[in-house]
Amino acid sequence: MPVKPHSKDLSSLFTEATKRRRSSPLKPLLKYMQADPTLVSLGAGLPHPDTFPFISVTATVAEAGKSSVDATARHVDVSIAARAPTAVTEGLERFLQYGNGRGVASYAGFAQEHTERVHSPLYDDWDVVVSAGNTDAFVKALMLFCQSGDTLIVDEWTYPAIIETVGPMNIGLAPVQMDDEGIVPAALDSLCLNWSADAPRPRVAYMIPTAQNPTGATMSMQRKQAIYEVAKKHDLVIIEDDPYYYLQFGEYRPVGETADPEDRYSDLPGVTALIPSLLSMDTDGRVIRLDSFSKILAPGLRCGWITAPRYMTDKIQFHNETSVQQPAGLSQAIVSKLINEHWGHEGWERHLVQIQRDYAMRRDRFVELCQKYLKGKVEFTVPSAGMFLWFRVLLSEEMQGREGVMQEVFESMIANHVLLVPGHLFSPLGATPEVLSKPFVRAAFSYASIDDFETAITRLAKALEPFTG
Amino acid sequence: MSPNVTLPDASTPLPMAKDLSELFVPSMRGQLKSAFKSVMGNPTLAMINMAGGVPHPSTFPIMQLRATVRSPSSPSAPLNRESTLELAKASRSQSTESLDELLQYGDGCGIDSYCAFLRRYTQRVHRPRYADWGVIASCGNTDAIGKAVSLFCEPGDSILVDRWTFPGALSSLVSAKVLPAPVPMDGEGMIPEALDNICQTWSGSAPPRAVYLVPTGQNPTGTTMSLVRRKAIYAVAQKRNLAIIEDDPYYFLQLPPVPSPSISRRGAERSDQAQHLVPSLLSLDVDGRVIRLDSFSKILAPNLRCGWITAPTYILDKIQILNESTILQPSGLSQGLISKLLNDTWGFDGWEAHLRELRAVYTLRRNLFIQAVDKHLAGLVEYTVPTAGMFLWMKVNLGSAAADPTAMPRLLGSMKKCGVMMAPDMPFSSTGPSASLEPATDGTSERYLRAAFALVDIDMFEPALKRLAQAITSVSGARSETSCSPVTSPDVVRSDTAHLDVNNSTF
Repeated sequence: MPVKPHSKDLSSLFTEATKRRRSSPLKPLLKYMQADPTLVSLGAGLPHPDTFPFISVTATVAEAGKSSVDATARHVDVSIAARAPTAVTEGLERFLQYGNGRGVASYAGFAQEHTERVHSPLYDDWDVVVSAGNTDAFVKALMLFCQSGDTLIVDEWTYPAIIETVGPMNIGLAPVQMDDEGIVPAALDSLCLNWSADAPRPRVAYMIPTAQNPTGATMSMQRKQAIYEVAKKHDLVIIEDDPYYYLQFGEYRPVGETADPEDRYSDLPGVTALIPSLLSMDTDGRVIRLDSFSKILAPGLRCGWITAPRYMTDKIQFHNETSVQQPAGLSQAIVSKLINEHWGHEGWERHLVQIQRDYAMRRDRFVELCQKYLKGKVEFTVPSAGMFLWFRVLLSEEMQGREGVMQEVFESMIANHVLLVPGHLFSPLGATPEVLSKPFVRAAFSYASIDDFETAITRLAKALEPFTG
Repeated sequence: MSPNVTLPDASTPLPMAKDLSELFVPSMRGQLKSAFKSVMGNPTLAMINMAGGVPHPSTFPIMQLRATVRSPSSPSAPLNRESTLELAKASRSQSTESLDELLQYGDGCGIDSYCAFLRRYTQRVHRPRYADWGVIASCGNTDAIGKAVSLFCEPGDSILVDRWTFPGALSSLVSAKVLPAPVPMDGEGMIPEALDNICQTWSGSAPPRAVYLVPTGQNPTGTTMSLVRRKAIYAVAQKRNLAIIEDDPYYFLQLPPVPSPSISRRGAERSDQAQHLVPSLLSLDVDGRVIRLDSFSKILAPNLRCGWITAPTYILDKIQILNESTILQPSGLSQGLISKLLNDTWGFDGWEAHLRELRAVYTLRRNLFIQAVDKHLAGLVEYTVPTAGMFLWMKVNLGSAAADPTAMPRLLGSMKKCGVMMAPDMPFSSTGPSASLEPATDGTSERYLRAAFALVDIDMFEPALKRLAQAITSVSGARSETSCSPVTSPDVVRSDTAHLDVNNSTF
């Protein structure tokens, strides 16, 4: 088996704060404790697990691959009990005790195995560290390399939490032009080549390569390869924020084309036919990949993981230890027990196919209705993953260039009882007149009931009517 | 929904909090509202919501959550009993939201029923003295400290702290480039006159605008401020216009005085003893300058990663914004289970019975530990009896080795040889470089060890302290033994550490 290369050392790009992050000051003492099992330690200020009143926790879950609202699904009881570890998962008291910024071993172990299975990283010193969801993961990844006065490269339309986070940190945003697959490689290259000497050159690029928020764009493998080449050329770090990665469901085929509804969803990608990630092509160790359970289990669990070279995940671990510590033990316990002992990797994949099917059905119904009711009113690229659709409103000639027109469009939608998100909220440039004039709105087809889609889209058509003609 | 606001009782109108915005760092001033939220607002029921990029609850796989807990004894149920809690997927369980709600994205404030209990409980225990206070959920006090500090301190700023303090806070300050300004302590904690004096004589660029302290069962010194002391600290904070970050994870673990020496092993601790709790700084706070950090870590379990912050609502609004761009909020499962347990299964009575039982456990441990210290370490250490929490801070009598800077490393090596370990003073020092084993830089030759008496099996107290005595005398030369006998196998460690991650990072 060929020996994998070591990651390239990018630690010279660390901020001063990152360089100062280190492990627990009591760590040097741990070597004393580990060496001698007869040693009594009164060192750690931990409460005794006997004081934790929790005896057991049980989550009832549908069998893998069935929806939790499917009445025919069999149920699985996922139970974690105190002082009852199994060969695979720890006892409940272990999940409820203080640990460290790496999380509980069986949870982190699943993240590690799954990453190997799906992405097979190409360098040898890759590693995973737990996170409390991708928003927190983003901040930790960002703060490895960016401090006050630095600039982060982002899509020209991006996730609002990014915009709201960097402001108070005095980190600037450099937007890069997108097309219907995401960041345009030539534009990224041009930004780096032509960067003026005034401000420090940006060294980190943030992107959401699958079902991008807000545009719904998904990068093909070729696009990712081209982006990676530009990143290598300019020695950039890439933050690959990929919460919708598993929500891939392929091209849209209009209803008439396949007679059998089962057939429509027979070739969902699962985990074996997904578009390869940026991590999977990362030979240098310059991709920090953010994975989250939010869209594939539930957002309220507040857990996920980060994959990067070990010298970076160590720093994130230390940062965890001065903030959230690790994801909540109950979340880790249920996720670990469910996937490691009940569903297994195979059941997990069946579950993901079920999620893909769910979103594919929604996408299909939504697009079908858009094509029926919104012809001539909007233009959009059909998403092949995720939950977002990015409408370009086709303003009539008299409406184009009319000041404040998109605000009127928004108000018209409200008046017609349908809510979409104005495009300017996704612009790193803020609500400038130029941005405000760009006629975009974002629809999400994840939340409303499918039965309400037709009503929603007919209301949208009515709301747009005065502006599109 | 915005942080839970308490309306003033009509019969005793309370003032509004003072506006301390001038103490905020520039980026935290002004109306910081999410642009997204201010445009999108809250969808009405008539609206079809194609806006929220949130998953549909039909995709959440958990159909039911059941927990079995050990409930405290009560007059009607004298023995501990097991209770079962249930949360359902799509329907509320009495006070608590459905799993679908708990598992959905929140708004950065926390689950309503969780916050509602904590608001009622805070009113009951602390009775805040101004009208517009509220509570918001946190992921534990370490995260809460970072967020509170970031309101008042930019890189290069200083914050007033205890001379010995919680290393997690010190690490947080280091990474935020905020400098700790140490304030001397005595047997009750931070000294008010010293705090005032430091403010008076401050010569640095920007005077500190906030003070961080742990007033109850302080980590590492185990000190607890009396009511008189708290009032004096508060008066200085008013005089110097400081915000106070009251980090109080051991508040409910306040302990009665140590009884007379002749206490039997399974002594006279009764969990139904009424416990007077020293009033918090929050309860003295007429201005709204206290940001109080509470945690379930020591009173339920650490890795629930749940706590709460109490402060004026305009301050909580800022913290909500910070939450929205980081953690969002704590795990919905933790909040839901805690809410169900406290609101429905236990209620106030059960919760307070649980806290009394915890106090009984800590009281017994504290008493037996002190007894063992007095028996084996007389003349070798000095200490103040802790009246809260789990820490004993011992000044080590190093005799002729006191002035030797290698004494502490040698003591630690000797302790290891004798088979006992405790935390040395250096990581807790706010005067010297933390995360090092180098001595503190304030020139003192006083050296300390912190013992935690919560975790180790009670049967190991005496063996541990005997070994410590051996280790100390081998370094100080106080007695004729100059080396310690190696640990032999009959002294088997029965500490309950099997469940611990060997790389545990917590203090």
